[in-house]
Amino acid sequence: MDTLLPVASGSAAGPLTADELRELYSLMVAVRHLDTSAIAWQRQGIIPGYAPELGQEAAQVGSGYAVDTTRDFVFPTYREMGVARTMGVDMVAYMSTHKATWHGGLYNPLESRLAPIQAVVAGSVLHAVGWAHGQTLDGKDGVALTYFGDGASSQGDVHEAMNFAAVMKAPVVFFVQNNGWAISVPTERQVAGGSVAARAAGYGMPALKIDGDDVAAVLEATRRAFAHARSGNGPVLIEAMTYRRGPHSTSDDPGRYRSLDEERDGAGTDPIERLRQRLQADGIADETFFAGALAAAKAEEEQIRTGIQALGSRPGTEMFDLVFQETTPALQAQAANWREESEHV
Amino acid sequence: MAEISFPLPDLGEGLIEATVLEWLVSPGEQVERNQPLVEVETTKSAVELPSPQAGKVVRIYGGPGDKINVGEPLIVFEVPDNTAGIVGTVPKEEAPKRRVRLSAVLDED
Amino acid sequence: MSNSILEGTNAAGESTADDTVATPAGSEPATTVMSMQQALNRALDEVLADNPKAVIFGEDCGRLGGVFRITDGLQAKHGAQRVFDTPLAESGILGMSVGLAMAGFHPIPEVQFDGFAYPAINQIVCQIARMNYRSRGTLPMPVTLRVPSFGGIRAPEHHGESLEALFAHVPGLKVVSPSNPHEAYHLLKYAATRPDPVIFMEPKSRYWQKGEVDTARHDAGGGSPTGAKVMREGRHLTLVAWGAMVARCLQVAELAAEDGIDIEVLDLRWLKPIDAEALAASVRRTRRAVVVHEAPLTSGLGAEVAQLITQSCFDTLRAPVERVTGFDVPYPSGDLEDEYIPNIDRILFGIQRVLEYKRG
Repeated sequence: MDTLLPVASGSAAGPLTADELRELYSLMVAVRHLDTSAIAWQRQGIIPGYAPELGQEAAQVGSGYAVDTTRDFVFPTYREMGVARTMGVDMVAYMSTHKATWHGGLYNPLESRLAPIQAVVAGSVLHAVGWAHGQTLDGKDGVALTYFGDGASSQGDVHEAMNFAAVMKAPVVFFVQNNGWAISVPTERQVAGGSVAARAAGYGMPALKIDGDDVAAVLEATRRAFAHARSGNGPVLIEAMTYRRGPHSTSDDPGRYRSLDEERDGAGTDPIERLRQRLQADGIADETFFAGALAAAKAEEEQIRTGIQALGSRPGTEMFDLVFQETTPALQAQAANWREESEHV
Repeated sequence: MAEISFPLPDLGEGLIEATVLEWLVSPGEQVERNQPLVEVETTKSAVELPSPQAGKVVRIYGGPGDKINVGEPLIVFEVPDNTAGIVGTVPKEEAPKRRVRLSAVLDED
Repeated sequence: MSNSILEGTNAAGESTADDTVATPAGSEPATTVMSMQQALNRALDEVLADNPKAVIFGEDCGRLGGVFRITDGLQAKHGAQRVFDTPLAESGILGMSVGLAMAGFHPIPEVQFDGFAYPAINQIVCQIARMNYRSRGTLPMPVTLRVPSFGGIRAPEHHGESLEALFAHVPGLKVVSPSNPHEAYHLLKYAATRPDPVIFMEPKSRYWQKGEVDTARHDAGGGSPTGAKVMREGRHLTLVAWGAMVARCLQVAELAAEDGIDIEVLDLRWLKPIDAEALAASVRRTRRAVVVHEAPLTSGLGAEVAQLITQSCFDTLRAPVERVTGFDVPYPSGDLEDEYIPNIDRILFGIQRVLEYKRG
């Protein structure tokens, strides 16, 4: 499905360059390596839990790559590590949420242009609409990119967000990663009609249903959507079809609800392998390049792991200090009481 | 701790056994779901068998060259009784610790 | 209250027995050691068997058996018509419960975690809680909403919240929370057979703890399933708690005994309606009370408990009722969890303040 008019000019109009494709590959390898390492960290007791994004590297890197961090803003769920990495977010600060250091992560959302990690399914989709409408009110040209999944598409807030955005012509790109599974529930038991993209028509909103495992297709589609929204034409919905190759979280056991055969059939070809084959076929990358990308990913993971291991607990006073901008006497009294009566981390 | 045993699956129509070529994991190792466990050869082909689940390997059956019948034990995993929920951890039961002592002169009226 | 509940239990109030307790030859053993997960699962299994109109649904509670395995095996046993997965929408789950109840079913929906009840608050507060009233009693709402609740497992945001005061404040809802496997089994069976909406708050940090469950009888001595329960008798002070805090208070009581302080632990069990008579009966004897909960202090249920005690025991109280609670802060990330949840020392401090209180 593609109901978005083609873009006539600008970076969204042309094909990707060799440099861009190589960079996308390096990013995907870095994300894959960090993601699989995070599962190992959990098994080693470095972090208590993690939500892997294995198989969604193309959807996340491709879409995150389209973001202009000087003017756009991104609203993630809890499974957008690949987007965060692509946007250049400090990954120790990002991964700290999985170490149970701070719920939203320790990165600065305003500087990084990435909203705090969101645990509520579909919790931030409406926030994107509000931020985007703020751009309209201020006469600015930023675009809000909001992520959610096939599961979240069932939440009423998603309907409200799409309707608001379409009514207000808010510059929002709704980016659905349809990864086939909401914990144990497959898309066919989640999304009536089989497609989230099809719903856009009801809001009079253009939509693109794309191969979410083809990073070039994802980037091109996201750039087109950004160009459309940035030009004052209102929101766009992208449904990137991908597959959650791993468990929902490190303590999930997919064997209870899907077989290895189903996984193989559903997952298709590895998105990184697909890009690798394309780069080789186009003659724009060789084994030396691929080996270099992997070595860089490993070095980066080691640095992040060292940072995570070195990361201590936040001081307990932050529990009290960060509730309000203007604290209250009652809260100060509770903090004083806490200082007296507890042994502190 | 409970143990879960997996038998050699039927690897193709009518095949009744397979020969172990090489084990890719060893006892004590933590494996992930879908991780290759063992390479086996049937009369039709050589295949890698992926792990049906995540867990710690307790025992493996058969060394290189040994034949295993379909349905007979191939590998045993150790699975903790206390499996965490979809998020978080199983709280550890610790002996109660205290710093504070109570003192009071109680009237027993 | 007999002392029989104390026999064979450790400081946390859990059974120390290894297996089934001996019963007369030929009869089905009634007392079994099981985890709270297993006790809840068994209760639901029996409710489904007993009531053909009972249906269980929510996110992942069918095929997966729930993210904490509470509904494990129930779909296979009772069929996908009666135990089913819904799309991912809490408001949908609770709103649909209203219609099912109107159609004569007994819905037992699950909200996967405490913090995910918030998206359903509109349907819970505006619809489930008032339909009986609105319809002048013609449309009762026998909805038993199971909510894995409270903190203590180092989970992500919105997976450690204590919503009891929010629910208890809503006219038309009843609220209950079990503290151990035996209570979980009986209170869920009781709640799931009531004609009114009951919010059933499962203390998720206690899911894995094993304890003796006597499936034949709930309260030794024939107490009411709607009341509070004395979990440990004592003379000097009453600790009032519910859910996961009961086990902690039992630990505190053992430690206080080392100092010569004899503490009674009252498991409130029902958070609405609160068993005011049991509070009065206990504190009239002990003359001192401390209430402990994980939820934030301000407008928490501890204030309600303190008022009920003050009302009935004003003349005999030796000190104002103390509250030892979570703080008025959003439930923190795992690293700070132990700083937030009332710990043994904070409870001891609260007890000490009451003990040393001087009038005037």
